[in-house]
Amino acid sequence: MCTTYVVTRISNVLIMDRRHFIKNSTLASSLFFVPSFVKAFEQVASSTLGYKRLVIIQLSGGNDGLNTVIPFRNDLYYKARPTLGIQKNNVIQLTDEIGLNPSLLPLKRLYDNGYLSIINNVGYPNPNRSHFRSMDIWQTATDSNKYSQSGWIGRYLDNYGKQPYSAIEIDESLSLAMKGENLNAIATQDAKAFYNLSKDPFFKNIHNQYEHLNEHNLGYLYKSMIEAESSAKYIYETSKTVSSTKEYPNNKFGNQLKTTAQFINSGLETKVFYSSLNGFDTHANQINTQKRLLNIYAESIEAFVQDLKDNNTFKDTLILTFSEFGRRVNQNASVGTDHGTANNVFIIGDQLKKQGVYNNLASLNDLDANGDLKFEIDFRTIYATVLNKWLEVNDEKILNKSFKQLDFI
Amino acid sequence: MMNKKHIQHLYWRVGFGMTPQQLHAISKLEKKQVVDTIFKASKKITPLQVDIAELESLMTGSAESMKKSIKDFQSLSREKTRELNIAWIDRLTDSEEQLREKTTLFWANHFVCEDNNFIYTQKFHNTLRTHALGNFKDFVIAISKEAAMTKYLNTKQNKKQTPNENFARELMELFTLGVGNYTEEDIKESARAFTGYSHDLKGDFVFRERQHDDGLKTFFGKTGHFNGDQIIDIILENKQCAQYICQKIYRYFVNDTLDETHVNQMVDVFHSDYNIEKLMRFVFLSDWFYDEKNIGTKIKSPIEFLVGIKTMVPLEFNNPKQLLYLQKLLGQTLLDPPNVAGWKGGRSWIDSNTIVLRLKLPSLLLNNAYISKAKEGETDKTADLQKAVFKKKFGKRFSTSANWGYFNSQFKDVAISDMENYLLVSHMNESASKYLNSLAKVSKQEYCVQLMSLPEYQMC
Repeated sequence: MCTTYVVTRISNVLIMDRRHFIKNSTLASSLFFVPSFVKAFEQVASSTLGYKRLVIIQLSGGNDGLNTVIPFRNDLYYKARPTLGIQKNNVIQLTDEIGLNPSLLPLKRLYDNGYLSIINNVGYPNPNRSHFRSMDIWQTATDSNKYSQSGWIGRYLDNYGKQPYSAIEIDESLSLAMKGENLNAIATQDAKAFYNLSKDPFFKNIHNQYEHLNEHNLGYLYKSMIEAESSAKYIYETSKTVSSTKEYPNNKFGNQLKTTAQFINSGLETKVFYSSLNGFDTHANQINTQKRLLNIYAESIEAFVQDLKDNNTFKDTLILTFSEFGRRVNQNASVGTDHGTANNVFIIGDQLKKQGVYNNLASLNDLDANGDLKFEIDFRTIYATVLNKWLEVNDEKILNKSFKQLDFI
Repeated sequence: MMNKKHIQHLYWRVGFGMTPQQLHAISKLEKKQVVDTIFKASKKITPLQVDIAELESLMTGSAESMKKSIKDFQSLSREKTRELNIAWIDRLTDSEEQLREKTTLFWANHFVCEDNNFIYTQKFHNTLRTHALGNFKDFVIAISKEAAMTKYLNTKQNKKQTPNENFARELMELFTLGVGNYTEEDIKESARAFTGYSHDLKGDFVFRERQHDDGLKTFFGKTGHFNGDQIIDIILENKQCAQYICQKIYRYFVNDTLDETHVNQMVDVFHSDYNIEKLMRFVFLSDWFYDEKNIGTKIKSPIEFLVGIKTMVPLEFNNPKQLLYLQKLLGQTLLDPPNVAGWKGGRSWIDSNTIVLRLKLPSLLLNNAYISKAKEGETDKTADLQKAVFKKKFGKRFSTSANWGYFNSQFKDVAISDMENYLLVSHMNESASKYLNSLAKVSKQEYCVQLMSLPEYQMC
């Protein structure tokens, strides 16, 4: 009887703060001093609790979705893009109808393993073709005629984040997506530099006797300072315990993902990571620019997935890749494409319910008045699904609206 | 005679703080005289302009040749926007027209707009300065006709046959009434009144009669062949507009937390004629403006923080791009707002990254990252060595020239023990004060850096 009580009590505590409990509780050490028991218990706990993480990758500038996932059997595609269209024999075939850009070979390998789900025709009603505005809409997850000063991950933090480091952007400053009403995420691409900036003993000494963390603005500053010091220290000291031996492409994006993997593999208690790859605004001479960028993307992602797999963390990681809009179906006079609307979203993970191509490409003979693809899936239904089914939180509370759930996870 | 603390408080709100010499120069004046001085200094309107001749030359010639130079035009526009950003920071630091400049900064985050054509950006920017202390109705009308705004909120695409509601919606939601004080029908009807708005190549307003919908519109219960100006007129009759603007001004110039009684007094002053100068004068002359709860209790914006440092210790960035980079890191790059809703301000300036950077920044910019920790009664032996090491390692990344000579001359009559009264407007918390008292006061320079490295320095 006594045992039952203790176990129930312990599982409650474990759910609240498993690590803390195992490390510090004298109750645990006195009652379960048999190490194997504790170990067995910890395994059960970690498999049921499974610390799930979301990695968001933003392709900035508007990636041309039609030359990323290519309808190589469709004459309309080649008609709209006489010199920009990618020839059938160069396309990496996925199905009878569509294939990938030739620089996405690493992505094809993920696809073959069932780690990739391609969601086509993702967008939102009344699309905006300005980079800033459309990125804003994706980051804040509002209707296209509403403005918000907080982002969707920021609102996730407000409601469910325990610490600023519950979400980390691997960059030097924070995107709107990562800013909440009350809590902001952390931006860092160099945990050591962030730690060094924060650790001047002067700062510790001015607050070591500070007890009245009141509700006023000054109290808020002190509270933020103390939290930042401990976050910087926690991120640095936790992440430095692991160093990745995996080779990543030697560029900014590759390094961002390497840092992300290091954070994940060190067991950092962070639920959301965010990074971006820029330069997709291909109005002129698109072929080479896009080829180079997609190559950076695919090679880095493959290294990242392998790194996580090697450390047994891939199963608890979901990677979402998006761009603020796709591009016009017709190529322009400079062998490039102008701003368009609907685009594809990539979901990568090893717990996908629907692997491969999630839905068919939109019709190329039913375009909107601007000659752009019509969207089929609201990007917020993807957010809602990820929030609800992956991060296991109330998506309505974060998106301020109810969206249909999809079944890719 | 005005209390010194009150003068400093006033100057933090109408400007970016003041040095001891500046304070002493007016410390014998009465409140009304001080306020008069401030308004008199801001009577003048000095536009802020960087050279656009090169841009203008790219805009001449045939349509064909202009099309060819569009890329050059856009990249030059971006460069000029950065140039204006730097010039604006200098202006904020050095201008005699302090209140006009501070209110311009305020309105830039109210009538939020950006454009990739720098000529229109600069024109818009100076329209803010022209009307910053003028009549609010004239202001809204001028804004509605700015080329940059007709592009930013799509009034240019708003035509009789194909109305675009973007401007009409934001006009009410963000510029005049606040969300929830109008219906969707009001938006639809008023959007029709703003049809036909456009501009010429130079950015001057053009009204395209044939694209204008001159039909009857029913707006806020009134029916008529309203045009844009008349719609603005009707909106401003609503006291809610004065309420909305006064609340925003109160939050920016007085306190994050509204005091209903004080705001209502402001509304009564403002609603009668929408005279911004009169409203601001009323605020700065009110007794409640000087209440304890309003002094040193606001969190500085990144720009207030940076310009505040420069006011005390003039500072040049040897590579001006670093100043832009810092604005980005601190979360507020002038001329690059997050979206039409602008920066949220207040506590949202602060997150783990920005607080760490803000605390470390004064020492980084002014003192080779060094904050003295020598104990009372000891000399600071390692200072020079540590500064030299930093300079060697990171000197390129923080290449600044600080004018400590100016600082020392401004502080020459101030005892070192009295310095905190000039550098901080907020009370120092006990823990920080105890710690600082345990340290040696090595020099005015080192003590200034110590004080600027406190969270208290983030308050104004």
